[in-house]
Amino acid sequence: MTGDYGSFLAVGAAMFALGGVGFVTRRNMILIFLSAELMLHGVSLTLLTFGRMHGNLEGQSFTIFILTVAACEAALGLALILGLYQRTKSLDVELWSHLRESDLPPSVLELDKDQPPLEPESPEPPMPRLTKAGGVPIIDDDFPAELARTTDPRLIYTPSAPDEE
Amino acid sequence: MFAALGASAAGMWLATSPRAVRLRVIGATLASAGLIVAVTMFDGPSGELAQRIMFWLFAGAALVSGVCMVTSRDPVYAALWFALATLGVCGLFMLLGSPFLAAATIIVYAGAIIVTFLFVIMLAQQTGLSFYDQRARTPVMSVVASWLMLAAIMWTFQRVGAAPPPANEGPALVAGEIPNPLSRPADEATFHTLRSLGRSVFGDYLYAVEIAGTLLLVAGIGAIAIAPRRTEGTI
Repeated sequence: MTGDYGSFLAVGAAMFALGGVGFVTRRNMILIFLSAELMLHGVSLTLLTFGRMHGNLEGQSFTIFILTVAACEAALGLALILGLYQRTKSLDVELWSHLRESDLPPSVLELDKDQPPLEPESPEPPMPRLTKAGGVPIIDDDFPAELARTTDPRLIYTPSAPDEE
Repeated sequence: MFAALGASAAGMWLATSPRAVRLRVIGATLASAGLIVAVTMFDGPSGELAQRIMFWLFAGAALVSGVCMVTSRDPVYAALWFALATLGVCGLFMLLGSPFLAAATIIVYAGAIIVTFLFVIMLAQQTGLSFYDQRARTPVMSVVASWLMLAAIMWTFQRVGAAPPPANEGPALVAGEIPNPLSRPADEATFHTLRSLGRSVFGDYLYAVEIAGTLLLVAGIGAIAIAPRRTEGTI
């Protein structure tokens, strides 16, 4: 059924896998974003190949929508990266690992950094786990937690309280 | 095929681990060569010689520059390799009979890559190479997981390719009326034309086009809302 197009499918799958490796292994936020785009390339190639194999244009139409979503992702992702960069002055994604769910183990690199590994606690019964929702992450030392709860957009993004005017 | 995939996985592990430059170059070469050998196990385009040469040129460019992008230590070089990978993929798009998509992808990603370039130079290159680009997170686990998935996908494609083609297009496609009639070109010669693509997008997928436009609008507003204000200081 794949006919002449099997190698196109293989190239698409390989691009997807490469993007996946890059997404997990890179620590630079911009490169993580580019790796996601590489995965999108692989998916686009596969869609086009399937459309070509079936002799219809739906693969091309889907790929146009992939382009649209990639453009949206680029806009939002770069805005988020700018905001995060302003907080930490670094593109390292490991600096934000404390935003994880509170009951998840720390990441590998963080374990490397802290000398004593965590002690094994008492084994918990194998129950389905529900993370407590609504907790406010502690974003910075000088970042007051009350500010994170406000709904005023001017206050939310300000690291310190604005001057009185 | 699995041996080639294993070799490329070992190359990726070498290339992503913090080792000497020469070992990492060897690893990247091994990874690209393994991937290309794995692709040769599939049925390539069987047309004229020029088409085959172009396929291997574009596929090789896409795979090699993908490997180099993932393993490059310098974010500027990584962005450059990503541009090359995009060009290779666009060449493959062209070979698949969709020249409009090749052009559109190049135009969209040209803007995206230039912006990314500016960001990298502006944010990451102020103090030379940064430490967090030198160390990868969990290289072994991610390479093993991704390559297992890749092997599974390629194995499935090979099995599907080896199976005899069905007499008709399968029961789901013949039963009932044809879905998306505008997406099927009347004859094969009009497959690659922009006219038939436009009929498909604005005929069968008109509502999806509206939703995509709304998505673009919302994403634009959201990007403006998220981006840091000028009053909060500059970069």
